[in-house]
Parts: sequence; structure tokens; C-alpha cells
Amino acid sequence: MAKILVVDDEEHIRLLYSEELREEGYDVITAEGGYRLLERIDRERPDLVVLDIKMVDYDGLDLLQDIRNKFYDLPVILSTAYDTFKEDMKSIAADFYVVKSFDLSELKRKIKMALEARTSE
Amino acid sequence: MKKSSRLAYEENPEKVERAEVVVGISSYDSAEFIGHTAEQAARGLLDYFGSKNSVIINVDSDSGDGTKEVFLGTTTEVPKIYLSTPPGTKGAGHNLRNLVTKAAELKAQAVIVVNAAFKSITPRWIKNLGEPIFGGFSFVSPLYLRHKCEGVLTSGIIYPLTRVLYGRRVRQPNGGDFAFGMTMAETYMHHPTGGEKAVLQTGVDVWMTTLAINQAVPICQSFVGRPKTQRSPDGVMPQVSAFVDVVGTVFDLMGFFQERWQKVRWSKPTAVFGFGMGEADAPPPLEVSEADLYRVFLQGFSQYQALWESLLDDKTFNKLTEIKNLPAAHFSFPSELWARIVFRYAVAHRNQVTDRQTLLESLLPIFHGKSLSFVKKTERMSIQQAEEYIESECMIFEEMKSYLAADWQGKR
Repeated sequence: MAKILVVDDEEHIRLLYSEELREEGYDVITAEGGYRLLERIDRERPDLVVLDIKMVDYDGLDLLQDIRNKFYDLPVILSTAYDTFKEDMKSIAADFYVVKSFDLSELKRKIKMALEARTSE
Repeated sequence: MKKSSRLAYEENPEKVERAEVVVGISSYDSAEFIGHTAEQAARGLLDYFGSKNSVIINVDSDSGDGTKEVFLGTTTEVPKIYLSTPPGTKGAGHNLRNLVTKAAELKAQAVIVVNAAFKSITPRWIKNLGEPIFGGFSFVSPLYLRHKCEGVLTSGIIYPLTRVLYGRRVRQPNGGDFAFGMTMAETYMHHPTGGEKAVLQTGVDVWMTTLAINQAVPICQSFVGRPKTQRSPDGVMPQVSAFVDVVGTVFDLMGFFQERWQKVRWSKPTAVFGFGMGEADAPPPLEVSEADLYRVFLQGFSQYQALWESLLDDKTFNKLTEIKNLPAAHFSFPSELWARIVFRYAVAHRNQVTDRQTLLESLLPIFHGKSLSFVKKTERMSIQQAEEYIESECMIFEEMKSYLAADWQGKR
């Protein structure tokens, strides 16, 4: 069972993602921000991270860089309310991005692709 | 002057025998720019690798314009070595082969390669390309801020194809500026495909990147900031020889790495190094002649129609003919069609359905048609929007990979 870490400062998003992704058969853990995120990843070894870009205390794109520097092969999917982040070239270090929605089919599709890419090497 | 073991001419006025960091400047008739490139490289080495022994090596293809004299005559605080191919031997691949051999002799830890034709190199390029090697990466590929229509050979075929094959998003797999450590140097010196004619010419850059991707060593991309401005062989209409060498090298390597790429399903990103450099300038304007692209595409029909008809399946060929009949103002080349044609050509290249030079040359007019469509579609787009468009085209390549695999296995 693949383990997914959802990082988002909005509780209802964490709940929604957890519930729906667990129904898909994933093991889901959550974090509400970037505090000690790298230590958490190191300890819990998720197979994929779903990362919110705009959190109150953290910039998701900076966190993405931190994750890439330490766990350069770990799939990361950016989750965002707006797609303006693409103006920042840092976003190319993500595997995919999804625009936040209550319909998670796109997120689920991208998770599947990212996990397949990881295991096909 | 003496000859090295690889028959390259060498001048080593400061008798350098050891260097931890090597900057290699590849050149051919580059007297106009090489002094500037050497100065910037020296400043980068002093500013960012000052505690290490370093050397700048000009690997030249026996230039006749005084490149050697300008290089050795440029005052730098870092020692310099000049290496050249023997008279009559030219090619970027020969240059890089000489560089790798010399770097191994010097027991280097990091080799940073820059092209002498650049006007835009800064000392930060040296830092950003070299530093990841000392941070544990084995290969560093460049990320440029380019005009959206510069480098269509890369964005239109080399990047999508490399990405779909090997599952790594390396945006500039054909970039002439990169860095590698000695694990990769060993691979480059001994790889069985290293002596291919195209690899010894312009195909060498994509060859080096592809080997690094397939070596399963840590690789990253490094943002080199300022716009790439050069005498570009990879503008909106690449030279025939460059197109044949580069695309031919990718097709050749598909055969060598076929076991691996057929197992790869989707792509994943590659780590990025070098952000936080401040605002980059906008890239300089690029003159694009839509009329020339259209003309060359149409000329392809008179020259290669019979070959295309024999190579492509009916549906694909008919679609290509439909496009031919579109008025220039409404010209559009669907990405799915382009992916299908590239995949078919890769298989035809493997099967040697005709001589490979002719085969690759016959793809060029179709490529110009595809490029014209890209130019028109991205006309009003920002660089970022054009990048997103390229990403969406890459996804089409990835979604159609099963078509390629089936064709490759003879199941179509």
C-alpha cells in the first residue's frame, strides 16, 4: 500500500484528501505545514507528497525545493487554488500540479501516474 | 607543443599536472568570443572554487581563425591548457573526448563544460554548473531562459523524445553547457557507442545526457540565469547536419537502451539547482520566418513524398497531406500526428528501411511544418505559457508511448 503525505494548512482539505485517498487504498498521513517536514519525511518515508503551494506560514515552492534537495526522487504533486504559481520556475521540480477541487479524479490520476513512474525505473 | 596519447595537440604552458576542477571550453573558429568566455570562467573558478586547484582547457577543433592564440593570450589568474584535434578532424564530440581524457589524466573531480560561442556566460554559470557535482550529483544539465522559438530542435523533438523514452524531465538534454563528475567521465571514455560518427560531431551533448540518465546516477538541472545568446546552430531552423546528428544519436541510443525504455511508463521531474539568482533579463528577440518554414515544409513533398508514403501508415500520411493543403494563415500541425511520425521514424531508423542519412533528412521538412505550427500557436504566449504548451505536447508523447512500444516490437 503506497503511503501519501498530504501537506495543507486547511483542515477540511486534509480531511477530504485523506478520506478519498484512503478509499482508493492508500495509506494517508497529513501535515498542516512545513515545520520539521523534512524530518517527518525522513522518518515516515512516504511514497508521494501532495503539497499545498500557498500556506499561511509556508511557501510550498520553497518546501518543494527543500524536499528535492534531500529526497530528489520523491514524487511531489503541487496542489493549488490558482495556477499563477507556474510563473515561478521552481514549480518545474514538481511531478505534477492539480488545481484544488472537490472532484479529486485529476489528483487520483496524477498520483497513479507519479507512483507508476517511480516503480517503472 | 606535443601530441597527447589521443593524437590531440596540446599546449600546457604552466605545466599543470593536477586539477580538482576543470572548465572545458569547446570551440571551433571561436576567436571572437573565447577570450570573454575564458575570462568569465576564470572569474567563476576564483570566486566560487577558490580553494581548489583548477584549470581552464580549451578543447578546439583545429580552428584556423586564431582561437588558440586568443585563448592562450587572454590574461587569467587560472592556468590554461590548449588541446586540439589533429588537422582535418573537427567536431564537438572529438573536443569533448579530448577533454574527458585530459580531465582523467589531471585526476579532476568535476568537469564543467561551456561552449565558446556564448556571449552571455557569467561567473555564476561556473558556480551553478559545478557546485552540484561537489554536492553529490554526477551530472548537471543547464536550464536557460530562452526565447520561446529558440531551440526548437530541443523543444520540438529531443526533449519530448528523451523524456518519453527514459522517464526523466531534463529540459535541455541537448544543451552545450553541463558538468559531470568522474563516474560519468569513466562511462564517457569507455561506452561502446562513443565512437559513432554523429556522437563525435553535434550529437555528443544529447549522448552525454542520455548516458547520464541511463547510468542511474544522481542528476540535476541548474539554472544558469541570463539568456542564452549565441551563434545558434539550434535556432528555429536547425542546420541539416545538426538535425541529422542529434536526432540520429537519439534514435541510435533507443536501440542501445531498448530494454530499459520499454519498461518506463511515465516521466518524473529532475531536481533543480540555482534559483535565487534574482531577476533574469528577458531573452533577446529572435527573428522567425514563418514563410521560410512553410516553404521548406511544402518543398518536402516534392522531394520526399514517395518515401513518406512508404514509411507512414495511410492515416498518418493522409493527415500530413491534409495539412499541406491548409492555407498558411490557418496552418496547424497536431501534436498527436507529430508524435506518431517521430515514433514511426525511430522504428524505420532501427530497421534501416533506407539509408539513415536520407531518412533523417526526410524528417526535417516535416519538423519545419511542426515548428511553424509551434510558432503560430505560441505567437501571443509568454515564455512561461509556451513552456506549458511544450509540457502539454510532452504529455501527448507520453500518452502515446504504447503506440511506439507496439511499433518497435513489430506489433503494428
